[in-house]
Amino acid sequence: MFPNLLLGLICLLLGASPVLADAQSAFDQANRQYAAADYAGAASAYERALSAGGARASVFYNLGNSYQRLGQYGHAILSYERARLLTPRDPDLLANLALARKAAAAFEEPGPNPRLDAALNTLSRAEWSALVVGSALFLGVLCVGCGIAGLPRGAFRQWTMVAAAMATFLLTGGATALYQRRDEAKRAVILTDSASIRLSPFENAEVVLTPGLGRTVLMGNRHGDFYYVTVPGVAQSGWLAAKDVAAIESDIAQATNDEPHSNITSVVR
Amino acid sequence: MVTLFPLSRIFYASFWRIILSVMLAAGLIASLNAAEVDGQLDRAAVSAGEGALLTLRISGARAGQPVIPEVPNLIINPQGQSQQTQWINGQTTVSVTYQYVVGSNTPGDYQIPAIDVLVDGKKYQTQPLQLKVLDPAAAQPPAGMAPTRPGSQPAVVEEADTSAQRFGFLTVELADSDRKYVYVGEIAPVRIRAWIPADARAQLRSGVKPEGKAFTLHHVSDSPQQTQEMKDGKTYLVVTWFGGMSATKAGKYPASLSVDASVAVRDPSAPQRRRRRMGGPFDDAFFDRVFDDMNAPMIQKDVTLKSDDQDIEVRPLPAAGRPNGFSGAVGNFKFDAWEIPAAWTTGEPQQITARLSGSGNFALMNAPELTPADAWKVYPTKGEFTPGDTASFSGNKGFQFSAVPRLGGAQDVALTFSYFDPSAGVYKTLISPKKTIQVSGKNVVDTPPPLAPATKAPDHKDSPQLVAQHLAMSPRASLVPLASRPIFGVLLAVAAGLCVLGKLLAWLRHRWGDPQRRARAAMERATRAALLTARQCADARDVAGFFAAGRLSLQERLGALWNQPAQAITLAEIHARMASDSPVARFFVEADRQTYSQASNRDIPKEWRALLDEAMSSLTPDSH
Repeated sequence: MFPNLLLGLICLLLGASPVLADAQSAFDQANRQYAAADYAGAASAYERALSAGGARASVFYNLGNSYQRLGQYGHAILSYERARLLTPRDPDLLANLALARKAAAAFEEPGPNPRLDAALNTLSRAEWSALVVGSALFLGVLCVGCGIAGLPRGAFRQWTMVAAAMATFLLTGGATALYQRRDEAKRAVILTDSASIRLSPFENAEVVLTPGLGRTVLMGNRHGDFYYVTVPGVAQSGWLAAKDVAAIESDIAQATNDEPHSNITSVVR
Repeated sequence: MVTLFPLSRIFYASFWRIILSVMLAAGLIASLNAAEVDGQLDRAAVSAGEGALLTLRISGARAGQPVIPEVPNLIINPQGQSQQTQWINGQTTVSVTYQYVVGSNTPGDYQIPAIDVLVDGKKYQTQPLQLKVLDPAAAQPPAGMAPTRPGSQPAVVEEADTSAQRFGFLTVELADSDRKYVYVGEIAPVRIRAWIPADARAQLRSGVKPEGKAFTLHHVSDSPQQTQEMKDGKTYLVVTWFGGMSATKAGKYPASLSVDASVAVRDPSAPQRRRRRMGGPFDDAFFDRVFDDMNAPMIQKDVTLKSDDQDIEVRPLPAAGRPNGFSGAVGNFKFDAWEIPAAWTTGEPQQITARLSGSGNFALMNAPELTPADAWKVYPTKGEFTPGDTASFSGNKGFQFSAVPRLGGAQDVALTFSYFDPSAGVYKTLISPKKTIQVSGKNVVDTPPPLAPATKAPDHKDSPQLVAQHLAMSPRASLVPLASRPIFGVLLAVAAGLCVLGKLLAWLRHRWGDPQRRARAAMERATRAALLTARQCADARDVAGFFAAGRLSLQERLGALWNQPAQAITLAEIHARMASDSPVARFFVEADRQTYSQASNRDIPKEWRALLDEAMSSLTPDSH
C-alpha cells in the first residue's frame, strides 16, 4: 500500500508543476497586458491563471482592476469580493472595491450595529473557521493529554488553565461570529444593469425590483434558470435570472465557469 | 323613521359625556391668553331627513359647555367631541372640538343662531350659520355621497364604513410636507400611519412594504408608536412608523405602501335588540347605541391596508455645479471634528480621523477628501455610522483613514466634503478648519510605469485612480471557507470526540489509581492465594497448614470488610462482632483447637473443607 501512495504523491507533484508554471505564466502575461493598457487581454489572461492555478487573492484583485478599467463594475465588484474572502484586510483591495462600488452606485446598507459589524468583520469567515477549528482541536488534544497524564502541577497547571480558557473564548467568539455572518455564504453580486427581480421564476413574470449593477444580494433556491434572491436592506425578495448574478463564495472550478468568466471575451467586446 | 328629540332630552342623553369632557378640558387647559370660537357646517344644503356635520371648535382658553340654541323643526344631535393639547416653547394650547349632526324633516331655509360659549367668564359667539333643507324628491345628493339620517354619522363616514376602509387604511406623508418631490439618492423621511377603527381588533401580519417598484423603503422603525386619534368624527387607533423612501431613477412615480393585517370589526348590520324603557341614567338612545355596538358580532378579515397612490416626482441630481469630490451624499451635513497628527514623514502612512453629522443618506457618504490633494495619497475607508434617531435619518459618521504625505515641509491641510442639499436644491462643499502640520523627509516622486508596446488602444471607460496591480502571485486558497465545507463539521466532531476521549481516559486513570480499589484487589489476591494454599495443604494432608491458610484467607476477607489489618483479627473480636455459631466463628474455633492440639498429618475431613467454603461464602460481598 505504501509504495502505491508514494507513487501517487510523486505523480501529483510532477503533474502539479506544469500547472503552476502555466498559472504563473498567465499571471505574468496578464500583468504585462495590464501595464500596456490591454485590459481585455489582461482580464482574459487572469482568467486563465485562475483556471490553471486556482483561487489566489492577487489574481482576483488584478482581475477586478482590469474589469474596473473596462467599466465592467459588476464583474469588478465580484472579483474584489472574492479577493476579500482571501485577504480581508488588504487596504489596496478595500480602496479599489470602494471605488468600484462608488462607480456602480452599489452602496451597501450599513447594519443596525456598526461596531458589532466591524468587530465581526475583523477576520474573514475562513479565518474565523480556522480559529474555531483550531481552538476546538486544541481543547480536544488538551483533554486527551490531561486524560492520560492528568493536569500538570505547579506553574504548568496555571498555563494549561489559561490556554484552555483562551481556547474556549476563541471558540465561543469565533462560533458567534460565524453564526452572525452565516448569511454571507449566500452572498452574490448582480452582474448586469438590467437585472430584474421578478415575482415568479419566469422571463415574463412581473418585475418586483431592479436592484442595480454590483448590488449584493442573498441567493436562495434555484428553479430552472432563476435564483430566489433577497436584497438586504430593502426587504425585497424575488426571482433573478441566473445569468445576471454570481455567487461570491464558490469553488474555483465553478467560479471560473461562471457567467462573468466564461463570457469574458464577449463581455470585453 | 326619524325620531325627534327635544333639546333637553338630547342634553340629558349626553350628560355623562359632557361632564367628563368638561372635567378633562378644565384639567388640561392652562395659561392661555386668547380664545377663539369657530363654528362651521360641512355643507350648505342637505335633503330632508339627512344631516350635515356642524363642527364647533374652541381653542386657546378654558371654556364652558357650548349652548346650542333651539331652532324650530331643526334637529341638532351631539355626535362627540375631541380634544387636542399642544406644548410649544412651554406654552400649552388646548382646543376642544364638538361635533353635531344637524338636519330636519321639513324642507326650508334654516338659520342656526350664534352659539354662545363661555370662555374664562367671557361670552364668545360663533357666526350664525345657514342650512338649506331640500325636498328629497327635488334634491340630488352630491356625487358619491350617500344620504344621511339626522342623528346618525355623516354621510361620508357611513360610506367609509361600507367600503374597504371600514377595516382601516394607511396614510403616507413626507416629513417635509412643503415638498412634493425628492431627489435621486435622497432618503426622504416619511411618516406612515395605519388607521384602525378604535372598536376593532387588529393584528398586523407584515411590515410596511412598498407597493410600487420605483421606491424602496429604508430604516422603518421597529417599534411603531400607537396613539388614539379622531378623524372625520370617528376614533381610530393609529399605528405610526417613521421611515425613509428613496428612488434610484428620475421621473414621476406613484408612491404607495401597504401592510397586511387581520382586522375584526363589529357588524353594524346585525339585528339590534329592542330594549324596554326601564328608566334610570342609562335609559337613553345614546346608551342604546353604545350597548348595541358592544354586543354586535365581530367580522374578521385579512386585509391589506394600502395608502392612496400619490405621485411623487423624483428629480435627478443637477449636473450643473456638481463638485469633483461629490460622492452621492444627499442631505444636510456638517463637520463635527477632525484630527490629524502634527508630525509626518513622507511615504509613511498615519491615521486621520473625521466625524460629520447631520441628516440624510449616510450610506452614500464617503470619507472627506484631504487637501491639497496632490500632496497626499489617501486610502479610502468605510465610515462608521451612529444613528441619532430611531429611523437613522440623522446621526453622525466617523471616518478613520490612512494617508501618506508626498511632499515635505510645513503644510496647511484641511478636509473637504461635498454633498447635495435637497432642501436648497444645490450642491454644497464643507471645508474643515485648517491645521498646520510638519512633514519631514524628501518629496515622493511617482515613477511612471514601464512603457510597453501598445498592442491596441485602451478601450476602457473613464475610471478613477485605482491602486496599482499586485505583481506577485499570492498562495492558492479556497474561496469557500472551512465553515461552509462538510469537513468543518467533521473536524468539530473530532474535537468533541477528543474531549470525550480525554474525559474517558481521565475516568479510567482515576479508577486505576483509586487506593481503595487497589487495596480490595490486593485483598482478593491474598485471599485467593491463601485458599489455594489451604487446598494444597488439604491435598497434602497437612492439617496445621490447612487451618493456618484457611484462617488467613478469612482474616483477609474480614480485614477488607471491617477496614482493619487482617492479622489483627482474632477469635475474640470475631465473637464480639459475629454470632458464635456463624461458619467463620466455628472455623476459627476449630482452627485454634487443631493448632493447640498439634494435630498430626492426616486426611482433612470433608466437613472442614465445607466449613471453610461456607465461611468464605458468608463473607463474600454479594452474600453478606
